[in-house]
Amino acid sequence: MTLPTAVFPLAVTAFGAIAVLLLDAFGKRDSKTPLAVLSLMILAASAVLAGRLWGRSAFGFGGLMRLDDAAILVSMIVLLAAAFTVLLGWQWNRRLDAAFGEFYGLLLLAAAGLMIMAQTADLLVVFLGLEVFSVSAYGLTGLKRNDDKASEAAVKYFLIGSFAGAFMVFGLAILFGLNESFGITQTAACLGTGLPAQLGFGFLLAGLGFKLALVPFHMWAPDVYEGAPTPIAGFFSIAPKAAGFLVLSRLVAAVPKDVWKGLPIFPFLYAVAAATLIIGNLAALRQKNLKRLLAYSSISHAGTMLIAVLAGDGASLLFYLAVYLFMGLGAFAALTAMSAPGREYVHLDDFAGAGFRYPWIGAIFTVLLLSLAGFPPTGGFLAKFLVFSAGVRAGLVPLVVLGVVTSLIAVAYYLRVIVAMYMRDPAPGVDIEAENPPALLVLFLGLVGVLQLGLFPANILHFIRQAAASIF
Amino acid sequence: MAAVLFWVFSCVSIGAVLAMILSRHPAHAALWLVLAFASLGGLFGLLAAPFVAVVQIIIYAGAIMVLFLFVLMTIDAKAGIPGEKRTFALAAAIVLALLLLAEIGLAARSLLLAPAAAVSDSIKTAAIGRLLFEKYLYPFEITSLLIMAALVGAVALVKKKDGA
Repeated sequence: MTLPTAVFPLAVTAFGAIAVLLLDAFGKRDSKTPLAVLSLMILAASAVLAGRLWGRSAFGFGGLMRLDDAAILVSMIVLLAAAFTVLLGWQWNRRLDAAFGEFYGLLLLAAAGLMIMAQTADLLVVFLGLEVFSVSAYGLTGLKRNDDKASEAAVKYFLIGSFAGAFMVFGLAILFGLNESFGITQTAACLGTGLPAQLGFGFLLAGLGFKLALVPFHMWAPDVYEGAPTPIAGFFSIAPKAAGFLVLSRLVAAVPKDVWKGLPIFPFLYAVAAATLIIGNLAALRQKNLKRLLAYSSISHAGTMLIAVLAGDGASLLFYLAVYLFMGLGAFAALTAMSAPGREYVHLDDFAGAGFRYPWIGAIFTVLLLSLAGFPPTGGFLAKFLVFSAGVRAGLVPLVVLGVVTSLIAVAYYLRVIVAMYMRDPAPGVDIEAENPPALLVLFLGLVGVLQLGLFPANILHFIRQAAASIF
Repeated sequence: MAAVLFWVFSCVSIGAVLAMILSRHPAHAALWLVLAFASLGGLFGLLAAPFVAVVQIIIYAGAIMVLFLFVLMTIDAKAGIPGEKRTFALAAAIVLALLLLAEIGLAARSLLLAPAAAVSDSIKTAAIGRLLFEKYLYPFEITSLLIMAALVGAVALVKKKDGA
């Protein structure tokens, strides 16, 4: 029996996680560098294997595993996010006393879970992949064990995550009872059949909404981002969004176009998008802790991505995710760089004057913040532009207007950080250990990515359109 | 033989449930519930549903009970329900019991009216095994990954500092 090639990218990541855990258990104890190097090699190998399948739509396990172009693209985003996180954690873990080998093993397992989610059109597999990610994420959140905030975050995440998982299973059970299938196509086809199908779908969306941190299911996100190790918070801000939004847009794409806007699900998602945009941005205005600020910022970006889902436009969604990978994780790289042994500086006041004291971090962080706010010529501007124009084409004008207005509000809190960095006197007592090449590399790659996608998007948009065509 | 076993299992399960309700200590109640689940499993076995019987014992008597006892560990078991909440608890219990009774009544009526169906293929152990290792092999394998992630995560959270 020959193994289907579709299995390889996932298998490499999953078995790689086991290899990293074994190396941690039986290898040398004093240095975690070999683990980081091995993790990077595994992630690269998995990405190469996935890339080789581009344009060929491979299947495995009787169709339960589906490696179409969209799945490959999202897997690439997840793998790249994991690689960035490994680089960020390299120095940070040692400084902040979270230097455990499990960091790398759990991170690879989390990435494997998200790849499982992306590489299927079967809701049971989606759920299991989501749980593999979530369970690893609970462990990752609590890695700083001597920190009360971390323990609080891990417990909160675990309880709310389990709750969300239960919601999803309940919804899946109702839907399976209705059409005896977990397939996304069959499930979407039964949506118009009546109240039970709507109810089941609603529960499913609520479960997904928890994991994507959409309002009103977002309460856990700021606490978890604050308590989790900073590199991991960066991973949470992009990777689960990429996989979750792909699943969501597969579901939406499978619903026949003529019934889609008549379903009660449509106004429900519409309201969720509006609430996410408003609450995410307004709450971010009040934050003094940059980790919490970026958490609310990522919530509001999820609201914008939801506009693309509602418009049924896969290309602008995937482009937004690709840009957010660089600007979101890049911003967390800046926070990671602002650390010294035993402490990290993530308060707004800590960044006062940082632009002149640490010119590289300050300058790149400024560009990334401008991109998050949506200024041209960065990728953040083009991503927002594509999503909003897709929204207008789909007739979602009120939502797009709301998106534009809240983007303007968002400028206020992003600029406040930049103002603090360049127009205030340096904060006393801030003394970072600037020697952190891996984190600076991620910052630099974030800058390159944001500018590349903003100035020369044509090549990447070509691939993204191809991927979007394969969503369904 | 089957008739004797049926009466034994039935009496044991009814007795165990009564003892569960009447015992004062929550941990004792939980243990009586294990006995009730086990004898229910025996009844399923007598009904030629070996898979349901085994699942009843593994999932309910095993996994769910561990969860119960785990919760009991974290609360003050001796305190019981405080006085002001007792009437509320009683009312809620009565409502839930009536709902359950209505549900069982409805299910029994539809079962008694319908002609007795032969044991369907889908609950035979061999058929379930075949489904699990052919059609649902991939989800089954992911579950193993899930359990490993849970184990590693739990170890990471409780590990002593510096891997000692």
